[in-house]
Amino acid sequence: MNIKALLKSLFLRKFTTGLLILQLAITLGLLVNSVILALDTGDKLAQDTGIDAENTLIISLQPTSGDYRDLDYFRSIVSQDLEALAQLPDVESVSLVNQLPITRRGMLGNVYDLDDPDIINRDKYLQDVKIFLTNEELSNTLAFSLLEGRFLTKDDQPEFGTNQNGNVLITESLKKALYGDKSAIGQETNNGRIVGVVKDIMLNPTIPADKQYGVFGNRVMEWIFTGRNYLVKVRPGQVNKVRNQVRDTILSVQAERDIYRVRTMADHLKRFYRHDKGLAQLFLMLCGLMLFVTAISSYAYSQFHISRQKKYIGIRRALGASKKDILLYVLTENWLVYSIGCLLGLAMAISFNILLSQYISLSKPDMMLFSLVSIVLFVAGTVATWIPAQKTSNIPPVIATRTV
Amino acid sequence: MRNNSLLSYNILLAMQSFKRAKSLYFLIILTLSIGVGVLCANLALVNSMASDPIPEKSANLLHVSMNTWPDVQPPDEPMHILRYRDAMKIAESDIPLRTAVFYASGVYARDIESTSMKRFDSRVRATTPGFFGLADAPFAFGTAFDKSRGMEIVIGHELNQKIFAGKNSVGKTLELDGELLTIVGVLKPWIVRPLFYHPTEGRAFDLTDDIFAPLETAIDLGWSIHARSSSSDNYAGVNETRDLNVYYLQAWVELDDIAKKSALQSYLDNYSQQLKDAGGHPLAIKNRLHNVNEWLIEAKVVDQKVLAFTLASILFLSVCIFNASSLLLSRFHAAKFEVGLRRAIGASNKHMMMQGLTESVLLGVFTGVIAVILSWFFLKISVQFLPRLANIAVLEPKLLVLGMFLALITAIASALYPLYRANRYTISAELK
Repeated sequence: MNIKALLKSLFLRKFTTGLLILQLAITLGLLVNSVILALDTGDKLAQDTGIDAENTLIISLQPTSGDYRDLDYFRSIVSQDLEALAQLPDVESVSLVNQLPITRRGMLGNVYDLDDPDIINRDKYLQDVKIFLTNEELSNTLAFSLLEGRFLTKDDQPEFGTNQNGNVLITESLKKALYGDKSAIGQETNNGRIVGVVKDIMLNPTIPADKQYGVFGNRVMEWIFTGRNYLVKVRPGQVNKVRNQVRDTILSVQAERDIYRVRTMADHLKRFYRHDKGLAQLFLMLCGLMLFVTAISSYAYSQFHISRQKKYIGIRRALGASKKDILLYVLTENWLVYSIGCLLGLAMAISFNILLSQYISLSKPDMMLFSLVSIVLFVAGTVATWIPAQKTSNIPPVIATRTV
Repeated sequence: MRNNSLLSYNILLAMQSFKRAKSLYFLIILTLSIGVGVLCANLALVNSMASDPIPEKSANLLHVSMNTWPDVQPPDEPMHILRYRDAMKIAESDIPLRTAVFYASGVYARDIESTSMKRFDSRVRATTPGFFGLADAPFAFGTAFDKSRGMEIVIGHELNQKIFAGKNSVGKTLELDGELLTIVGVLKPWIVRPLFYHPTEGRAFDLTDDIFAPLETAIDLGWSIHARSSSSDNYAGVNETRDLNVYYLQAWVELDDIAKKSALQSYLDNYSQQLKDAGGHPLAIKNRLHNVNEWLIEAKVVDQKVLAFTLASILFLSVCIFNASSLLLSRFHAAKFEVGLRRAIGASNKHMMMQGLTESVLLGVFTGVIAVILSWFFLKISVQFLPRLANIAVLEPKLLVLGMFLALITAIASALYPLYRANRYTISAELK
């Protein structure tokens, strides 16, 4: 096969060839970046949250009646709710908490050891630590694993109105930030005395995994109006059964409540990434359309080529080229165009990646992915050229005599 | 008259040409209209996000940010939320024409005359009365309340529909979290897109509020804060916040003359300086005034994801144009015998060009019609994938026009090179 002759023949059709190459390059660039987006989103959704997400139910609710402005009444109803929920079959544990893990914001505060308040200027993540107001059941509901000290107990609940912080549980990464490898038990922070350290759970997915700072205090009964979320740990596989009962259970305790959300922690995580996923899906849809358009182009390119080259191919056939030779010739020509397109596509993929990262966060393209996408494009292109190539090889040698 | 008949002749020829290569033209129209449709749907989203919600006075409405935080510890940057006493200092200034100080809350509402115990979840704006004039809230019935204290409220159109079936409900009483408040005004349907007076905390595409209540009353009743708040003091309820360092109020001012902006700025700076002299302002003084459009930019209202996708759809459209161009080239090539024949019997080069252009304009019109339909469809798909944008997915008339225009441009652009080539065929060669 004479590459030089092929190139020359392509150059004769520089406009259409150029268009096709550009098209291929753009398609490849978009395809690579869309796959990156989709993979990134997949990675985010598959992250280890440290929570048994499938079997943890979140119930968010709010009282609708003015009676709840009497906090003692509020507390008594909530206590009854918790009791009623705990008695449902297949419920392992129920707790009350002011905010949910896997959220961007919420109730945040700065946390430092009383001996070293300046530390928050050295680690800015210490300025926005998630402060959880909860009760002693949370460790069971979220299945915390204890690294040192003990979990919160009923006795850790400070007396109402004393304005004291009481005892707190902190996450492992917060302990490391404040005390390094030393023990944190008994240390005094501005949020209370540390009695236990638990393994990290994912509190805010938008910050690094080793900055998941959280403080848990047994204080939600005092600030009862912040306790909008019941967390329910369900026996594995029974989530749907329990989900169908919680609404009635709560409303039968007292009906004047708006239960605005009942979903599993797994759904909560999915919702957190809903827009990332949506964007990836939009990009993939665009890729599908683009592949479709490019396939049409490839087909039209070869088809057009045949109609113009009938004469020459006829001559070639007359001079002894076999059908297979012609088929190979057309396909090689196409592969050449595709190779150039892919090379240009590499540059396009990289520059498009840089351009997109001005707006959204996405990983860098890697060679492996690029080669894979190129192969897909090659195969698609070959399929699209096959019919015109077949037709070309069927041009009889006799054409040569007719068209001189 | 001759021109007219020439035009109809050209159109006739174009139609014949379309008929002769149906599937080819179908592919061209399909690819171009998909490209234009996708881009148009995206531009519709960008347009809604980036538009000026109150163009007649957006330059004269200023949002106030201050940094009166009492500790040296961060936040060091000016905050968009203010303490009660800072906000009141702004409200008492006579430099602005109007001032609005507010916070977002939420209550459950029920008509006390209703036999049903159902209560409606309502978004609340607890505000000073200046808000209505400042934001140009349109009244259907009644008027605004005129004091910051009093058991009076204004309700939005949607809530009025839900509770009173859209009837004039002025004078009726609502039970809100156990308190009785009287309706003094009902708004018309009110669309503010983006919600310029509260674009932070991801609320830029929220609907306008259901209930507008006097600020002091809401604070007294302890209606909780439903947006960002920051505090260096502990507090049990909003009713305790007036004298504490609790930051949750937003302040907007309307100036009758933008030249007064510097007077307002020095008013704020003087106030901060007084605090500093008294030892209550440890940070450097940084008070900021943003007008509506500046504030929307500051709040990063335009969704970056949509911008990224718009970029991709521009690339996609260019691919569609390339595709249409090579398809047209092959079409013109196939028709070159006809071109040669017509040239031979006297059609001028210019005439052939006109005929080709007529064909591509016609192509553009067909493409435009389909593209507009497709863009509606793609807008629906986008909202399916990005549900947060549901409130802003509107195809305004100007976007339909833009879609048609884009379709025309792309159709002509794709035909340019093929036309140029077609006109270079020599008559004799084609007729041989």
